[in-house]
Amino acid sequence: MKAGLFVLLGSVLAGCAGSSGEDDADPRTMILALEGEPATLTAHLSTDLSAILVASNVFNGLIGYDFDFNPTPDLAERWEVSPDGLRYVFYLSPHATWHDGEPVTAEDVAFTFNEVISNVHPRARRWWDNVASAEAASDHEFVITLKAPFAPFLTLLGNGLGSGTLILPKHIYEGTDPRTNPFNRRPIGSGPFKFAEWQPGAFIALERNPSYFKPGLPHLDRLVFQIVPDAATRLLSFERGEIDFLHAYIVPYEAIERLRDDDRYQVIDRGLESAATNENLLFNFRSAPLGDSRVRRALAHAIDREAIISGALFGLGRVAHSPINSGLRWVYDDGFDDYRVRDLVKAEALLDAAGFPRDASGARFTLRLTHDAGKEVERRAAVILRDNLSELGIDVAVEPFDRPTYIERTFRGWDFDLALQNFVTGPDPTLSVSTRYHSKQILRAPFVNAMGYHNDEVDRLMDRDISELDRTIRVETWKSIQRILMQDLPVLPLFEYPSMNLASSGLADVVTTPNGYLQTRERARFQNPKDAESQPR
Amino acid sequence: MKGRRSAPLLAYCLRRLAQAIPLVLTVFVINFLLIHAAPGDPVDLLLGGLDSDPAFQEQVRRDLGLDQPMSRQLWSYLANAARLDLGYSFRFREDVGTLIASRLPASLLLMGASFLLSVCAGIGFGVVAAYRAGGAGERALTVLTLSGYSMPVFWLGQLMLLVFAVGLGWFPIQGMVSLRAPSAGLDRVLDISHHLVLPALTYSVYQLTLIYRLTRVKMRETLALDFVKAARARGIPELVVAFRHALPNAMLSVVTIMGLHVGHMLAGSVLTETVFSWPGMGRLMYEAINARDMPLLLGLFTCIAVTVIVVNVVTDVIYAVLDPRVVYS
Repeated sequence: MKAGLFVLLGSVLAGCAGSSGEDDADPRTMILALEGEPATLTAHLSTDLSAILVASNVFNGLIGYDFDFNPTPDLAERWEVSPDGLRYVFYLSPHATWHDGEPVTAEDVAFTFNEVISNVHPRARRWWDNVASAEAASDHEFVITLKAPFAPFLTLLGNGLGSGTLILPKHIYEGTDPRTNPFNRRPIGSGPFKFAEWQPGAFIALERNPSYFKPGLPHLDRLVFQIVPDAATRLLSFERGEIDFLHAYIVPYEAIERLRDDDRYQVIDRGLESAATNENLLFNFRSAPLGDSRVRRALAHAIDREAIISGALFGLGRVAHSPINSGLRWVYDDGFDDYRVRDLVKAEALLDAAGFPRDASGARFTLRLTHDAGKEVERRAAVILRDNLSELGIDVAVEPFDRPTYIERTFRGWDFDLALQNFVTGPDPTLSVSTRYHSKQILRAPFVNAMGYHNDEVDRLMDRDISELDRTIRVETWKSIQRILMQDLPVLPLFEYPSMNLASSGLADVVTTPNGYLQTRERARFQNPKDAESQPR
Repeated sequence: MKGRRSAPLLAYCLRRLAQAIPLVLTVFVINFLLIHAAPGDPVDLLLGGLDSDPAFQEQVRRDLGLDQPMSRQLWSYLANAARLDLGYSFRFREDVGTLIASRLPASLLLMGASFLLSVCAGIGFGVVAAYRAGGAGERALTVLTLSGYSMPVFWLGQLMLLVFAVGLGWFPIQGMVSLRAPSAGLDRVLDISHHLVLPALTYSVYQLTLIYRLTRVKMRETLALDFVKAARARGIPELVVAFRHALPNAMLSVVTIMGLHVGHMLAGSVLTETVFSWPGMGRLMYEAINARDMPLLLGLFTCIAVTVIVVNVVTDVIYAVLDPRVVYS
């Protein structure tokens, strides 16, 4: 009751603040850091995080999803799925308009799917081949029909980063090459913010869309995305109040403890659940000792993952107990991790049994450990791994390479023994986990099955899961897959990246979905008039 | 006198520039081969890997012209460059010329300010130190400049930030303009200048110390020469002796070094621009390297090569102005 009164009072105050804020010339601006320059400001060409961070505010998807990965409305107010899981009907909001005043219709949606995403999005082919038709049934009714049921379809549509499914205006793109259309760099969308300015190399500014179709939104006047490539500078700038938001992938782990205690800042402990990113130690099955599962298990027994958490992540994050991240709570199962307690005796025995005894000097064999030199966390983890394995008589040579070289060697050349690599495991395991461990993913391409792992049972389970719509059956399937993967160990899951974003304390509702690190900021607002005024000018 | 010398000077400049054409071509071809020899596939970096199927990768490779044999790629690239078309950036999907032009003003501003600062301060301190040779002030300056000379730029930049931006709060930490309160007109000029101070200071330190050390040594040598003594004997004020008589003679080697260093400055702007989030060409180059964006890299390298060549010619001309003995033929 009391709390209710306060909320009421708060909203009245906020209402006053809103009106007085508009009288002031002082716009409510939120400044977000980007670590690199985006190539375009749309979602349809790549899976470039910087681009999506901006695009998710300029455009809308058909739907989004909540923390349980249930779909939520965006351009589509509601939707229906036929019982056989083949026909999806989306009813669009009749009020949505493009920033140039044209109405948003089902024709735009159909065009985006048929003419743009299916042709130019790098990941589209995987699922588009399964689409029988995508068409506008009426002005505000969009129907998409599949050839076979596809379990993660709604999740896929809700994930603009992975699928590129932010809806584009047909009248801007029709008859043009969607890869080079100049509006890719000064976009016209339907979203809560309109494109205002792009100073190359410096910043991208968006301003409030006053005729946004969701009533009362957005709350902020301006969003500015500032390009700050240097991590140390980013942190100083955030602490000085020049920047309001650092997303999960650029959060400075070393400073979290200090920032948590400072009431000028807030650590938002969620918002990466959709990416659900795990760091893994990849084993190359082609390099002699690692082809033997006993050797891989021995390594797993010898690696102190708690030490990696404290040494490489400053105590943040958590040990990964499954190839699926715990953020996917409906399917995650941590019951198959036999390597929780470090056991050197078991490890030594396994190596001896596998035929790799210590020689006279106590050494067994040498392994190379490859990683991306640009990743500080991996650099620190590599040192710990090397020390851990040296206790088994395994000599680890750490080989850091710059990112392009690392990708070339590891995923195209398969020229590695051990490699450190993070795998996104969300928003649905069939999209992001099956693609790593299925034997048909043994391709010379980045971030797939470079390990050379092949298990027919795993293949069969993954193939079956694609078209299974019943979540309880899917949970059982994935339980089996997680059990086998933790036995076979194509990778040893090391840790889960901390799901945390950093924001100035004045801001509220910055992270409202499991995609918080890149989501729309349509609900973000300054908490009270005092905070709004006290932001540095 | 001047009229007689300017005609051969012009001819000399034109001839030097003409000679530069095969040089640019060579630089071009070597850069092309170097970039292609570097490991890393631009298509992988462009598509982000996971789930992109091989057929689609091949299509992108074709679209980018990467499926062609290398000799064909080089030839079509050269043919386009001859028409001043530097091609199309893989990563930014934009004309390379436009991209470079968009970053040029910020780079020129930073470089110009640093250059001016290092020349004025370097020469000024150098002259003073030459007069105070052996004094405590000179020794202090020498130690200071030696440390400035050997300090890595990214570290110096962080130090500057901690002292002047975080500690004293005099300057903003990064960027070129204030984003919370966009300004216009004179306010904008002031705003940019405010943001310029720390990066320009950081960027100029290396140059400044180099110029300082050279000026000091050369000035001391020159001040000991007979014509300086003669000038002093004629009762010419010491300030005039220093700046009209001695300095121009001491400047010859300084000009050479400054000319040589313009190339270094262009290529070395990456670190300063990264630390201070300055939106210049250095960072564009860094992003191009990370994306293995070959057309953009080649375009940038070519721009740098051309600039270095032009600056060399300009240096020669300045030589002629400073030293009447230099004859161009």
